[in-house]
Amino acid sequence: MRSVLLRELKQNMKLLLIWTLAVGGMGFYCILLYQSMQGEMKEMADMFSNMGAFSDAFGMSTLSIATLPGFFATEVGTIHGLGSGMFAALVSIGILSKEEDRHTGEFLLALPLSRNKVVTAKALCVLVMLVIFTVVCGLFYLGGIACLDAEFSGSDLFTYLVRQFLMNAEIAGICFLISAISSRIKMGLGLGLAMMFYAFDLIGRVVPDLKDYLFIGPYSYANASEIFSGEDTPVASLCLAATLLAVSIIGAYACYNRRDLQS
Amino acid sequence: MENVIEIKNLTKSYGKARGIIDVSLQVKKGDIFGFLGPNGAGKSTTIRSMLGFLRPNAGTVTILGMDSRKDHEKILKKVGYMPSEAWFYDTMRVSEVIRYAADIRGMDCSEEAGILCERLKMDTRKKIKELSLGNRKKVSIVCAMQHKPDIFIFDEPTSGLDPLMQRTFFELIREYTDKGATCLLSTHVLSEVNRYCRSAAIMREGRLTMLDSPAIDEDAFIRFYEDEEETV
Repeated sequence: MRSVLLRELKQNMKLLLIWTLAVGGMGFYCILLYQSMQGEMKEMADMFSNMGAFSDAFGMSTLSIATLPGFFATEVGTIHGLGSGMFAALVSIGILSKEEDRHTGEFLLALPLSRNKVVTAKALCVLVMLVIFTVVCGLFYLGGIACLDAEFSGSDLFTYLVRQFLMNAEIAGICFLISAISSRIKMGLGLGLAMMFYAFDLIGRVVPDLKDYLFIGPYSYANASEIFSGEDTPVASLCLAATLLAVSIIGAYACYNRRDLQS
Repeated sequence: MENVIEIKNLTKSYGKARGIIDVSLQVKKGDIFGFLGPNGAGKSTTIRSMLGFLRPNAGTVTILGMDSRKDHEKILKKVGYMPSEAWFYDTMRVSEVIRYAADIRGMDCSEEAGILCERLKMDTRKKIKELSLGNRKKVSIVCAMQHKPDIFIFDEPTSGLDPLMQRTFFELIREYTDKGATCLLSTHVLSEVNRYCRSAAIMREGRLTMLDSPAIDEDAFIRFYEDEEETV
């Protein structure tokens, strides 16, 4: 099992590097931009906070974009939220199904490994990749913040990153289940799911009738504006996420164990 | 002599499509068992059901006295399998694939792998994506043999191999079986069965018939393919 995990990590290293540098680097650059834009921000902040539903959707009605936490929540929050969700989907959507899609399943499963061990090794690979992604992006953001002389709550950043990690894990879990069911790599479906969840959250914050159902989506509890403006922890949403994650993983084990392997 | 492979009433269907029907067979220790049949007869389905890639609808498979479902992992430790299509991870080198297979088995097979690579004239520095079908088949042979298993299962092993390598391959099988290993050889090449196998069975349209002798007349063999209604 260790060999499978190490091989998977090695195989996915390039993907991890590209996405971590892209998302973390963009976030870092965005934070540094704050300093140069700080002077012009005050008027913009007033304007952005009075744009009704649009301001609500991007959290600009609760946080001022003129402050670093507000700027971080609206700018870096969007980049990290969307980028990390897509990364989570990309890592997990083909991790099991690629063995059949690329015809290597017979080679792997003819070795003395139970299907449970294969699923465990691949799930661990996704977990390790998401942890590294979150930690490195967090370090990029901390580096950016350290370059500026502005107030910023470290605990809020930590909460934000932990919730983003859970959101990534939830998306990855759903994609992992799809990967266990399918014998083809459904890259489009994975990316589409991540973007659909993001769009659902965005629309849900604009359309009043959808607000009650917002907690269903994984982006609901990882919203940067809500975390940085100190809103209450969305317990129902987090519980649902944990349940969905557990169901997805158990489902992946059950499906992968029961189905016929395509040659 | 004890049976190392025992299949009883194995049935596998793919929805409405036929797979294999009520297949029963025994392979004795030390045997080179020829598993004949035309394309699509169900040879690969039988093998894939034995190894747990497919879930049979009915029947049992016992390998080395162990149940193929319950003791799946234990069985695979003692089996060397070569699929009909030799696919590996494109970006890996030949040496990495061979070591990877040994690592998963938790064994150091470097000595045996070295001998096999030399006899099969393999360049282990090459990347898999640079290899021809024949060379990928050689990698598959090394992966199936390097841990000196008790049972070999080969699914159309010689397609893509040049005549010299085919001869080397069968020499290797003979050497391993002389030391007590058993071999199940699925093929549709009659001459391989005639020349190398000690017993044989033939599959047609998902059903299996044991043959009295692996020495089959070629005309009779062709007639078997042609006349679908005739029973063997």
